[in-house]
Amino acid sequence: MIAQLAMATGFALILIGFYGALTNRNILRMIVAFSVANTGVHLVLVAVGYMNGRTAPILDSAVSATEAVTRIIDPVPQALVLTAIVIGMGVTALMLAFAYKLYEKKRSLDIGKFTELRW
Amino acid sequence: MVSAVYIIIAALAAAFILGFLKEQWRGLAYVITLAALAFMSWVSAGWVWALGWQGAEAVDILTAGTEPPFAINLRMGLPEAVLTLLVNLTGLLSALYLKEVLFRLGRRSLVVLLIAIMALSGIILTRDIFNLFVFFELVVISTGGLILLSDDVQSNSRALSAGFKYLIASQIISVLLLVGIIFAYHATGTLNIDGMAGADLMALQGGVIAFFLMFIAIVAELKPFPANGWALDIYESAHPAFSAIFSAATGAAALYAVDKLLLIGGVSWLPVATAIGIVTFVVSNTLALSQSNDRRLLGYSSIAQIGLVFTVLGQRDILGDDYYYIAFGVLIAHAVGKAGLYWLSGLVAGRGLTDWSALRGHPLLIFAFLTFVFLLVGLPPFPGFYAKWELARYLAAEGRLALLALILFGALIEAGYLFRWFGYIIKRERPAQGVVSDPLKQVVIFAAVVAGWAMAFLWGELSGRANLLLALPLLFALAFLLLEWLPAWFKNIVAISGLVGYFAMTYTEYDPLRLIFIIIFTLGGALTLLASFHTSGKRIGFYPGAMLMYAGLVMLIRATDSFDFFAAWELLTIGSYFLILRGKHSEPHALSYAIFSLAGAFSILAGFALAADGAVHFTIQSLSEVATPLAPWVFILLAVGFMTKTAAIGLHIWLPGAHAEAETDVSPMVSGILLKAGLYGLMMLMLGMGIQELHGIKLNYVMLWIGALSALLGNLMAIFEEDAKRLLAYSSIGQMGYALFGLALMNHLGWLMALMFVINHYIYKSMLFMSVGGVAKRTGTRDMYRMGGLITLMPLSFIAVMIGIIAVSGVPPLSGFGGRWIFYNAIMSSEYRLPMLIIFLSVPVAFLYLFRLIHTIFLGQLKDEHRRIKEAPFWLILPQMIYVACLLVFALVPGIALRHVDRYLNDFFPNGGLGWDGLLITSQYGYWSPINIMIIIGVIFMLLFFWLLFVNRKAQKVKQFNIVFSAERPYRPETTHFAWNFFAPYRKALGFMVQPFVTLFWNTITDFLHAAANLVRRLYTGNGQTYAYHLLLFVVVVFFVRMGV
Amino acid sequence: MEFEWIKIPYSLLTLFIVVNYGLLMTAFIAKIAARVGRRHGIPIYQNYIDLIKNYGLRSSITHGVMFYLGPVFRLSGGVGLLLFVPSIYGSEMFSNLSFAGDLILALYFIFFGTLGMALGAAESGSPHSAIGITRGLSQVTAAELPMALAVFSVALQYETLSITEIVAAQQGSVLNWTLFTNPLAVVAAMMAFLGSMMRPPFDVVLAPQEIPIGPPTEYHSSYLALMQTNRVIFPVAKVVIYTNLFFGGATNWPIFFLKVFLIYMVSAFVGVAFPRFRVEQSIRWFLIWAMPLGILAILLV
Repeated sequence: MIAQLAMATGFALILIGFYGALTNRNILRMIVAFSVANTGVHLVLVAVGYMNGRTAPILDSAVSATEAVTRIIDPVPQALVLTAIVIGMGVTALMLAFAYKLYEKKRSLDIGKFTELRW
Repeated sequence: MVSAVYIIIAALAAAFILGFLKEQWRGLAYVITLAALAFMSWVSAGWVWALGWQGAEAVDILTAGTEPPFAINLRMGLPEAVLTLLVNLTGLLSALYLKEVLFRLGRRSLVVLLIAIMALSGIILTRDIFNLFVFFELVVISTGGLILLSDDVQSNSRALSAGFKYLIASQIISVLLLVGIIFAYHATGTLNIDGMAGADLMALQGGVIAFFLMFIAIVAELKPFPANGWALDIYESAHPAFSAIFSAATGAAALYAVDKLLLIGGVSWLPVATAIGIVTFVVSNTLALSQSNDRRLLGYSSIAQIGLVFTVLGQRDILGDDYYYIAFGVLIAHAVGKAGLYWLSGLVAGRGLTDWSALRGHPLLIFAFLTFVFLLVGLPPFPGFYAKWELARYLAAEGRLALLALILFGALIEAGYLFRWFGYIIKRERPAQGVVSDPLKQVVIFAAVVAGWAMAFLWGELSGRANLLLALPLLFALAFLLLEWLPAWFKNIVAISGLVGYFAMTYTEYDPLRLIFIIIFTLGGALTLLASFHTSGKRIGFYPGAMLMYAGLVMLIRATDSFDFFAAWELLTIGSYFLILRGKHSEPHALSYAIFSLAGAFSILAGFALAADGAVHFTIQSLSEVATPLAPWVFILLAVGFMTKTAAIGLHIWLPGAHAEAETDVSPMVSGILLKAGLYGLMMLMLGMGIQELHGIKLNYVMLWIGALSALLGNLMAIFEEDAKRLLAYSSIGQMGYALFGLALMNHLGWLMALMFVINHYIYKSMLFMSVGGVAKRTGTRDMYRMGGLITLMPLSFIAVMIGIIAVSGVPPLSGFGGRWIFYNAIMSSEYRLPMLIIFLSVPVAFLYLFRLIHTIFLGQLKDEHRRIKEAPFWLILPQMIYVACLLVFALVPGIALRHVDRYLNDFFPNGGLGWDGLLITSQYGYWSPINIMIIIGVIFMLLFFWLLFVNRKAQKVKQFNIVFSAERPYRPETTHFAWNFFAPYRKALGFMVQPFVTLFWNTITDFLHAAANLVRRLYTGNGQTYAYHLLLFVVVVFFVRMGV
Repeated sequence: MEFEWIKIPYSLLTLFIVVNYGLLMTAFIAKIAARVGRRHGIPIYQNYIDLIKNYGLRSSITHGVMFYLGPVFRLSGGVGLLLFVPSIYGSEMFSNLSFAGDLILALYFIFFGTLGMALGAAESGSPHSAIGITRGLSQVTAAELPMALAVFSVALQYETLSITEIVAAQQGSVLNWTLFTNPLAVVAAMMAFLGSMMRPPFDVVLAPQEIPIGPPTEYHSSYLALMQTNRVIFPVAKVVIYTNLFFGGATNWPIFFLKVFLIYMVSAFVGVAFPRFRVEQSIRWFLIWAMPLGILAILLV
């Protein structure tokens, strides 16, 4: 149940993020929109790994190594999502740097103003 | 062998070390970077050597000590080794190229470069899908950084917007990729690519969509049309060395990533790949037509080439063992060529295509440019040529003819704009700024050139056929590149002795038919080269081009296999293109020639591919064994290709300009010798395939009409020409029409006539062109109405032209009459009447233009400005006199050549031969005795002539204007020399037949392509958001097409 | 047929006969034409006087070597044409030098004289000769087309290119003549014949009233003599070809003279009755009226 909800939220966020990126002309808003979409993806990633009735993939007093297989959710997506978050952060940072430089050059954040290269 | 993981380790280690260096230690940082890149290249090279030559096995590298799917593994097989070598070398060379910029920006930029190269290598090596994603993201980030290196301030701001657009696109891609990965993982339980492939993802629930998302995300990295606006902007604005990396290395890595994915997807996804690939290839090449910015044009070309390799990927199921040979052939050729061109663009100051004319004066750079262009177009001896041949073979065998046609069409367009660019380089005015002089950059460029030629050699070795690069004629031609610094007369001697020597070495190996052609190509070529002694200086570019053409011609005759034939055909096309381009005003004509010739060559390729039906070695002899439903089509394809070379009507518009504008000693070569290659091809074709029928129409009947119309229209257009060389060029069209007609008759005498004609036409066309060329040189004009009265000042040229026109017109007693006699006998024994009538009409018309030639130039009134001119240079006159002697000898004893050919033709056309008995030649219908005719006419003529001379021995020669007419005494030659619009009555009566319909037709086609290009390229509005839309739209469309199909 | 030395004097004999006959015949026809125009006309022996006078004259000027070549080519062409065709069928003596070549040779040799004339005349310096030459060439090439078609049709009909054999096939009766067995070809050929005789309606080439100066005027004295000699030989030679191909040939001299005269008269008849065509009109006339007949002749053979 919670997995489906998370997944639906994740997809909703992705769609919202794409919508925001495609309709906003302000670069910063586009970056934020992509950030939202990335968050949605991360949600989806985690939601896929969920299995009903199972617990977190941490081996400690609650779950021992021998019973881990039957009692924890899939740990791989959790590892993947960590990597994805970091990468997402890196790309967002790069985009913000670009936005800053673009603003420096053109004094505008409108995506439609940066069309010297075309056709 | 050093483990492949060290490639990644070395890059990371170097990047870390750079972090510890002081900011000022730029030199050290740079050296460390270079060392790391060099090490990485060395590791890859070692693996290439081991896997390729020493027969080692592919190795899996386990990164965490455990097998997948519990850990990531890398694989180093032969494809991976080659690709990583490509990536690492490109990185190393670009790093060298970027020295200034990297020094200026410091170690951070060096780190980014290292990471970029490492990530690309990672994409190639990894077998884990998520790892692939990570490496892709690394590439995105480092690309974002590297885009900002640029070589001038103005580009810098544009590069910023380009980078941002790229980042927008990559965000969308990463979202799709991640969603796809996770669902694929969910379905199969593994992140390992081979594991997913084994688990049959397609059959699992949700598997198709998951795969689609992964697939389309990685495909988007290949910059498919139309989702590639961001890529074009990067290509245009980034530093050329980075564009080189972006095009060669990133493209290669992305392609291999798609290849890996297709393993998961299976055979059902291959058509999607093919469809996306071919659309990208054709559309991008077409859009490139309208570009004037050099880097953007290279960008379009890059995208197109990647699309082509993608198409090859999509044909994986039918290519069998040759899959890697073909795919890598195209890919490596593209990579080296594109990287090289981008590196070259860094040396040119201006960004317009015409600004590249600054390269003139740097012959080595022009050679580099040509190497790269040849690599891209796939001309021999480079890898793309072999790849194209094999690909065509497989496609034709599987019946995928529409795909083959589209590939060839796209290739033709690409060749078109690349050769147009080369024309600009050679012909346009040089810009004020010359070429940037930077030895390091030049070293990088030459490294690429060497790599290109090395690949040419390698692909030849691997092809399973004789290595083209080792063919003696080709090596001889290439040797002239090394001799370019020597004076022209020396190179001429070498060339002539080469041709004569080759003939002497090999003349026993030919049957009489081929012997005639080889004599014309070698000895005839040597004779026309005599005229080249009249030039001075070094004539850079002439000898390699000329000898390339002769090499192609010679190899054509010797070819027994269709591959060798085709390779020779393309070589002679290239060589003659260079020769024709040398004329002062020949830029558009040379381009027209190149395009028509290449189109013809592609037609021949298609014909051979269709005929071979998958066989690896298809000899020309086997043409006779092609099965019936295919045979007429093979015939048509091959015939159209050959007729492009002989300028049959409809395909002739390149010839007048090309032959007329060519240099004085080039026109005889291309008109007298080169056109015969087409006739040779037709002869081989018709000997092999005989008379073919398509839907009940006999194809040789169609060719009769084409020949007859060429003869008539060619001759008609000649009589209206004011330019002497254009007149001769149109005359060539007409004469080729006759030859075609003779061949199409498919009887003994028709072929005898065609062969006799081959010899005669070579002699008199070369002679006439040389003569007219000599006159044009002395008078400074080619317009006949500006000349006149030159008989006294240029008597030897006059004699040559007079003998020439008597020979051409067929008036007895000279050799042309023999040809006419055989011709009439030939058509008497055939049953085709109607086309014959058109030929009849063209015969007297030929007479008219010949007369015009001699009258307007040599007879009539001498113009004032020409009163002091001398006879043409000795070296132009000498070959002409030799030709005159040949014509006279042939008139007397036509049997010298014909007898043997007549006997040889008996093998193919047993009936209808000639009887040779003593001085008399008989046929089924009539008889002819050349020596007797000559003697009789000679005696009568001489008697009368000497009587007249004797009787008027006391007459004094009267000056030019010692005449009176219309009660006036003229004093200006212009009012007494009638030469302009000479055949006005004919123009009034028959002028309607020579309207330029054909030119209009072809112009409409090219205009249409350009208009389409201009229209479609408006898609790239420059707005990054729009590009994002394109990407999403692309995804949606592919989805629906794939699901619906 | 073979070459024998005796053929040379025999050929010269034929030449002699034909020259004399030509001189007389052309004068006679000129007289008839004059009478039609209500004039008295020249005496029959006028041509002899002209020739003797011109051969006796000497020229004191020359315009160069090509100028010589014009008349020489012309006369060689005429004489050669005559001798390459057998005059009298069945007679070894008068078969001339036809062993050297067949019908194709005759057909092409007609151009020999034209070529020479064209080369030589412009040397005189007057552009009017050049204009005359262009007109002449344009017209002749258009006129030769139906002739070539007709000749070819006949060759296909009799399946031979040897003139002797064609004549042989027409022996027996008047109805064997090609005139009756292949009338289309003959009509086409006769139309072409009109074009090449330089009489109205195709005489714009010389245009005697319009351009008082042209090739014949430029040449004088001995040059003119050669050309006048050719004037009588060449048409006869052409008519001989026509006789042999279309009208059954001649088995003895009286029939020869009669047939040649009658055929020659055809062009004279037409000439006196019609005005002149412009060159493009004559080109079109040949292509629209004469050529289709020739085409039909070939297709129906």
